[in-house]
Amino acid sequence: MTKITPIILAGICLIVPVLAQESEQDYSTAQSGVRFAPLHIYIDSGNKSLAAYQFELKAVAGQIKIVGVEGGRHEAFKEAPYYDPAALAKDRIIIAAFSTGSDLPKGRTRIATIHLQIIGGTEPQYELKLIVAGDADAKEIPAEITFEKGE
Amino acid sequence: MTKRKEHFDEDMDLRVPSKLSADLNALFEPRVGVPPEVDRAVMDRAYKHFAPLQSGKGGRLRVHWAWRIAAAAAIIIFAFSLNLTKQTGPATDRFSLSETQAVDIDRNGRVDILDAFKLAKHIESTGPAETEWDINGDGLIDRGDVDVVALAAVRLDKGVL
Repeated sequence: MTKITPIILAGICLIVPVLAQESEQDYSTAQSGVRFAPLHIYIDSGNKSLAAYQFELKAVAGQIKIVGVEGGRHEAFKEAPYYDPAALAKDRIIIAAFSTGSDLPKGRTRIATIHLQIIGGTEPQYELKLIVAGDADAKEIPAEITFEKGE
Repeated sequence: MTKRKEHFDEDMDLRVPSKLSADLNALFEPRVGVPPEVDRAVMDRAYKHFAPLQSGKGGRLRVHWAWRIAAAAAIIIFAFSLNLTKQTGPATDRFSLSETQAVDIDRNGRVDILDAFKLAKHIESTGPAETEWDINGDGLIDRGDVDVVALAAVRLDKGVL
């Protein structure tokens, strides 16, 4: 009996967390619908060339998880931008990129796309803040940041 | 019929005489015997080998180890359930405060993408590089250092908003 007890105890310790985790996942998925949607981010730098940007996005309502980050449409920002990998599976992210090339966008440009997992029926609300935008001389320039929800 | 019966004595003693029995034993006894000292040595070894099990010491030892393994497994599972082993990613926990100050290339008191951009432009222009810009300490001032500065700028624990 004394030999079997620790084996049973170890078995319980192994099985219970696994089952709990699985049931938790099943519950959250079953409880509310899960869908995926992109969020396109735009910066309007007016008549100035945009060479660098940094912004922060966070959800202020609804339940989201960031699942991926993609570069923009313009050649200068086509590559995936910098972001903290710890932001994945969370609802807040800081994204930044720069281009040392000479072909830089002006006006309103899509600079990144954030892929989101939206959990539940509540439509998420976002807070988007431009931290900095810079021109080719690495000087800070005024710019406006906006987002569009994709399908 | 009666003639045949005459050959058998019904009162005949069928027991083997003791002398005959002793002679037969002596005749068919195995010639190669085990010397008593060898026999004793074998018995002693067997006793030494099985004595701990007989006394229950070995069993207790095994149970003791089983408890240790079970306890270790429980601690590991508990640590996993608390996410103690979860790593927050290379960008989040790479820098201390002094290192963060080191990546503030333009010395404006804020680490942002413009710091990385300025460093990248400087590297591309092949101008004289400050040794303090070797952020990753590999002896070179290159794109690797730019990446380190950029990743420092996007760290989540900065709390910008």
